[in-house]
Amino acid sequence: MRFWELCRRNLKETYRDPLALGFLLAFPLLFMVLMGVAVGGSTPNFTIGIIDNDHTSVSQDFVNEALAKVPAFEISTYEDTTTAMKDLKFGDLNAYVVIPHGFSEQVSQNLQDKETNIILDMTYDESDIMVSEQIISIINTVTRAFARIEIPVTINANPIHIETEITFIDFIAPGIIIFGLLILIPTSARMMVRDKETGFLSRLLTTPARPVDFILGYSLCLIFIAIVQIIIFIAAARWFGMDIVGNLWLAFLILILTGLSSIGIGMVVASLSKSENQAEPLCWLIAMPLAMLSGCWFSTEIMPSYLRNAANVFPYAHAINASRGILIRGVGFEAITGDFLFLVGWAVVIFTIGIILFRRTMRS
Amino acid sequence: MDYVKPAKGTDDALAIQTSQLTKTFGSLVAVNSIDLNIKRGELFGLLGPNGAGKTTTINMLCCLLRPTSGSATIMGYDINQQPFDIKGAIGVSPQETVLSERLNCWENLALVGKIHGLSSTEIRKRSQELIEAVGLAERAKDQVRKFSGGMKRRLNIMMALIHNPEVLFLDEPTLGLDPQARRAIWEYIFRLKGEKTILLTTHYMDEADFLADRIGIMDEGKIVALGTSTELKIAMLERHTMIIYAWNLTQKVINEMRSRYEEVEVTDGTLIITDKQLDFKEIIDLLHSLGAVVRSAYMKEPTLDDVFLHVTGKGLRE
Repeated sequence: MRFWELCRRNLKETYRDPLALGFLLAFPLLFMVLMGVAVGGSTPNFTIGIIDNDHTSVSQDFVNEALAKVPAFEISTYEDTTTAMKDLKFGDLNAYVVIPHGFSEQVSQNLQDKETNIILDMTYDESDIMVSEQIISIINTVTRAFARIEIPVTINANPIHIETEITFIDFIAPGIIIFGLLILIPTSARMMVRDKETGFLSRLLTTPARPVDFILGYSLCLIFIAIVQIIIFIAAARWFGMDIVGNLWLAFLILILTGLSSIGIGMVVASLSKSENQAEPLCWLIAMPLAMLSGCWFSTEIMPSYLRNAANVFPYAHAINASRGILIRGVGFEAITGDFLFLVGWAVVIFTIGIILFRRTMRS
Repeated sequence: MDYVKPAKGTDDALAIQTSQLTKTFGSLVAVNSIDLNIKRGELFGLLGPNGAGKTTTINMLCCLLRPTSGSATIMGYDINQQPFDIKGAIGVSPQETVLSERLNCWENLALVGKIHGLSSTEIRKRSQELIEAVGLAERAKDQVRKFSGGMKRRLNIMMALIHNPEVLFLDEPTLGLDPQARRAIWEYIFRLKGEKTILLTTHYMDEADFLADRIGIMDEGKIVALGTSTELKIAMLERHTMIIYAWNLTQKVINEMRSRYEEVEVTDGTLIITDKQLDFKEIIDLLHSLGAVVRSAYMKEPTLDDVFLHVTGKGLRE
């Protein structure tokens, strides 16, 4: 099995190169460590004011059974926005949320698969971006969880409480893991284009090795690297206090599909580049904006909708959404089917394009 | 190794045959209708300046490049029809030292050996032989990125030999090496003579002169001269040179010599005579009769550089 020998050679070249290894593992881990140390695994404490303009049992449940159960929140209810605004200005509140009239109808329609937007008004002190960022993210997560799961279970007198302590590390860890997998783009491109540039590929093309052997040799090696990355990143996130409540294997599947997309993009870049110097900046030009747009480091909720739509064209926003859903909200496959199919489609298409282009490169 | 299965209609005695082999890149004709017949066990040197088309020729023969026109066979296999049969039968040492830098000697050899389908036992045995033969045993476990240029070159050649190929392509095997390292590689290549068919490209004339059984001089994509080193020198040269160190080279002696020969130069007691025909004994006798005392004299051997200059009208390094 020639491809296996090539895979082994690629693995040895990678793990014996401290710089490449450090780049692959230490870079994302450094992010995680910094985030972990900066914010820690402890639950942040935010004081949130609630003005319930809906006055229905649904809205009350939302406040009492969902928002109030979030350990990071200390909930105070208000009759009007004037008092809440005053407390916000005095620093007694981090934010206040208005539940609009018609909230329960919106939730009901959503549960009947009629598309609707659940609108909450939130006012917060924008001077502290990280705090507002986390509050937005937590409220968003809790609301989605409430609308999808809590109501039917409450009607059935079997309430499911949001048991996850949504800490900052819970929120940030899936994004950092995806960021680590985004780094596979430059890693893959570098590995392939270096062999092309140094003539190693040409040398082995004078042997009976066939193009498929090279493609499998690179891909298997990179998939193995992706698996090791995922294991290390999840272990690190767990060590920093990430509470995993969902199916780890499902999350793993999502992350592998994400890794495959990165390898495919790397293969395309390697095919289109003549040298490592050309491939490297091109990869970063792709990876960094994607990391930012997809929400690796912060919630995309604060971004304009057109940017969020742009991010949704690529697999990473879907991967973050699905992995956060699985890992911290405990959702099952049915809740992430759309994201899963999108990731499968992306991986298949980009990998196919990568293989076609790389084969063409080898022939030339 | 049983790779050799000559195709019908091909000459069993020939390892490499090309017929009107041509490669163009746009308007540039890199290789222009070359015809080569290289016998089994022969070491054939393809000599030419950079850009003459040597590497392009090798790349076509190794099935890395498709010819624009013409054909070629290696051990009876057609380069257009049977590339994978050819790849199993050849070993290629490219111009650049292309190695896996973070693998050691054994691992680099094992990689190529495995790709050629050798068993682990065969690889170990063959690697041991090669590593000892080229004197890399002490450093065989070091990652090759720590090797000197000469050591890398030796490994580069070993990787082409691990599967014991019938035909070996050595593209500029000593490029950029110091004289000592070059000599070590020459000695190793010399030991392979007769055992393998070797096509060696070089732009070092002394390398081709020392190693090759036959030489093809290539310029601007064409083979402009072909033969053994001696044949080329004799056939191509129309003028001979004799160098004489003598005392008492008076004006009378010089005038007499100038009246008899086409070109006569005198510098510090050295007489250099050039003409189409030179008779060594006749010249010595003449000098004695004219009163000159000859200390030493020799016929200057023509070099391949002279041949190259003669057939192309330019020096090899131009």
